[in-house]
Amino acid sequence: MSNDGENFAAFNSRALVEMVGDVTDEALKATKVKQFLSVLAGRYFNWAGRKSLFTLHLGIKCCAIEMAAAATPRFDGDRFGVLFRSSPRQSDVLLVNGPVSKKFADKIVRLWEQMPEPKYCIAMGECAISGGPYFQSYNILEGVDTVIPVDVYIPGCPPRPEALIDGFGLLREKIIRIGGAPSTGRDGEKPIIVGED
Amino acid sequence: MGMKVTLEQSNSAAESCVAALNERFSGSGVESTVEHHSNAFKMAFVRIDATPQHWLAVAKFMKFDLSVNYCSMVTGTHYPDGPAERGWEVAYHMMRMPVSNVVPHTNTTHIAENLSGDDIPMEFEVRIAIEQGDSPTVPSIQSLWVGADWNEKETWDLVGINFEGHKNMHRVLNPHDSPDEFHPLQKQHKLRYHGHNEMYDDAQGFGRKPADEGRNK
Amino acid sequence: MAQMWITMGPQHPMTHGLWTLRVKVDGETIVDTDAELGYIHRGVEKICESRDFTQITPYCDRLCYVSAMTWANSYIYAAEDLLEAEVPERAEFIRLISAELQRLASHLMWLGAFGPDIGSLTLMTWCMRDREMFLDLLQELGGSRMHYNYPRIGGVKRDIPVGFADRLIAKIKLFERRIDEYEMLLDESTIWLVRLQGVGYAKAEDMVDAGVSGPNVRAAGVNYDVRWAHPYSVYDQVDWEPAVEKPTSVKGADCYDRYRVRMEEMRQSSKMILDAIEKIPGGKNTNYSSGDEMILTKAPTRAPEGATGFSNYECTRGASQFYIKGGGEGRGKNPYRLSIRSPMFITIPYVAETMIGYKIADIPAIMGSFDPCIGETDR
Repeated sequence: MSNDGENFAAFNSRALVEMVGDVTDEALKATKVKQFLSVLAGRYFNWAGRKSLFTLHLGIKCCAIEMAAAATPRFDGDRFGVLFRSSPRQSDVLLVNGPVSKKFADKIVRLWEQMPEPKYCIAMGECAISGGPYFQSYNILEGVDTVIPVDVYIPGCPPRPEALIDGFGLLREKIIRIGGAPSTGRDGEKPIIVGED
Repeated sequence: MGMKVTLEQSNSAAESCVAALNERFSGSGVESTVEHHSNAFKMAFVRIDATPQHWLAVAKFMKFDLSVNYCSMVTGTHYPDGPAERGWEVAYHMMRMPVSNVVPHTNTTHIAENLSGDDIPMEFEVRIAIEQGDSPTVPSIQSLWVGADWNEKETWDLVGINFEGHKNMHRVLNPHDSPDEFHPLQKQHKLRYHGHNEMYDDAQGFGRKPADEGRNK
Repeated sequence: MAQMWITMGPQHPMTHGLWTLRVKVDGETIVDTDAELGYIHRGVEKICESRDFTQITPYCDRLCYVSAMTWANSYIYAAEDLLEAEVPERAEFIRLISAELQRLASHLMWLGAFGPDIGSLTLMTWCMRDREMFLDLLQELGGSRMHYNYPRIGGVKRDIPVGFADRLIAKIKLFERRIDEYEMLLDESTIWLVRLQGVGYAKAEDMVDAGVSGPNVRAAGVNYDVRWAHPYSVYDQVDWEPAVEKPTSVKGADCYDRYRVRMEEMRQSSKMILDAIEKIPGGKNTNYSSGDEMILTKAPTRAPEGATGFSNYECTRGASQFYIKGGGEGRGKNPYRLSIRSPMFITIPYVAETMIGYKIADIPAIMGSFDPCIGETDR
């Protein structure tokens, strides 16, 4: 067995797998089966994703208490599949529920970047939408959408837990439409505001 | 029925504190008076107008002779249009209350109406006027009461009053990388959209990039 | 063994708010701590310098959002000191009832967050369910579940509705039996006792020297309560006693004592509310219209330069104080300087010191037992 140079007699399984994969891919594309399968898979992933939106355990200010109230027996967000996860790497939705200060702006962008695609952001409460009553403050950003792309806005100070659940419902409808589109590619979407009919 | 400290107790405690202070500090520019609140039961409190030079002596007297327990609040104010001798003011609020460590399985049960002497809860308000200038300085009382520590840090952070002798001064509420001379509660800094003055360039903090930008996370 | 710093960073399910606690550990034992606050510093003190006195009340609601009514009351007493306003007695009774209802809701929120920290997820659901009862009552008074903007300088915004008293009495009587249920669940649970007893000792004199007040100090056996020491409102006319615990060790109060103090405070608050609603002048089933002199007196709106107002109030987490200086913009319509003293701003660095010497697993017990609320800390 010579060690230098290629050994043409050896069975190279990796090359075989790649070759078979390429041939199958070409065949599927030619018969439009691949397109059909992507549509099906996309629809399935959308259905799975919107029925279980894992939200990050982030509680900034007062709206976090209403978020907690939405998870408790009276309003019960869990029946809609909304579960709170501690780590951003395991969550789908970043629910920003309070004003973002300059100190926290870096950290919230970092949390957003740590979340894997597809990910969505909900701005809950006036402080996250536009700075709220603190819009004149020297330390508060005017809305979280200055640093993160937001999908759904939930106005209120604080919004009732029913409004938060409605916000999740509107997010689910948005997921049906745009599904797995990456968060950087959603600029053309009209903003969804809860309560706007 | 709920108990309460009566107005007579409060008056007598305030008067004895003021008498002790005036006796000790007479003629040095430190004045103490008995004042009354205008709300609730119009309780008495002790107001002391001190000078920066005598502040440490007054604080030590309050701690050791008047048994003041804790430094509750430190407020700094900026008077850019004030008189020459009061460009800045630092107001300390201290509290006195009867407290001592208890023997296990017991607790102290005060009957409010029976408290007397140094046991009567009392509020002290110390106002120190600092003359106009760019670097107001007041001696720090961090070594006397632990509670003064973070209060003084906050006052320096927000108002810019320097506390001489304070160890480990750092920003507590503003970001650590705020510009050195940025103390937001000074009067030359205006609110956003209020006269349309921004406090410093990049008021929104857009130019600030995270330290690990570009790295795969 | 090598020592390392672990960051329990701003986003953490257990810190009850946005603050960083960095702990230096040697194996499992904590050797040093460092607390960093300021992640939701909103500059409320600066904003209030350009607001009228009535416009500041909603900002004070949002300081500590779990006990909004007590913070709004605390500010209103300082404004009344500054503007020299009188308050009718019926309004004082209504303020007492609303503040004690808020204290119940706040302690339930504390227990609902503290339980899951120790491991009892059931408590979250039970406490929030009971808290909804009190939020409904506060909603009848103030209009919203969380930020009411209810007290006014010189009284309250509107009177108690007709029928409110009956609902209040029924709910409080139900709740008194619920507290027994909580104690049955927790005090007979070995896990709860083992995790809380012997952890987080804090002596009374050390706590007071650091400025800690409220239930944390009362857990160490010291009977200090601003409601009787610097009295305000009508607390001397209702039947109550401050809830003081007997600590079991010479080292001071542990987490179990702090938990027991709050359960006892819930009982005392219930007692106070039942007594106050019977003694309210004007009757519990009458409803005076807003602005009636039984519930609101006209107060001046401007304060001259040189006038100051100060209030010392027992909030759910300690003694909160407001210091207002008059003579601001608008010829005295705005305050020149509004300074807020938050009990938690002093307590959190103290708690960080208390943790040294215990294990990492004790951090949630110690931190939660002091009941941090970052909204009032960061102002």
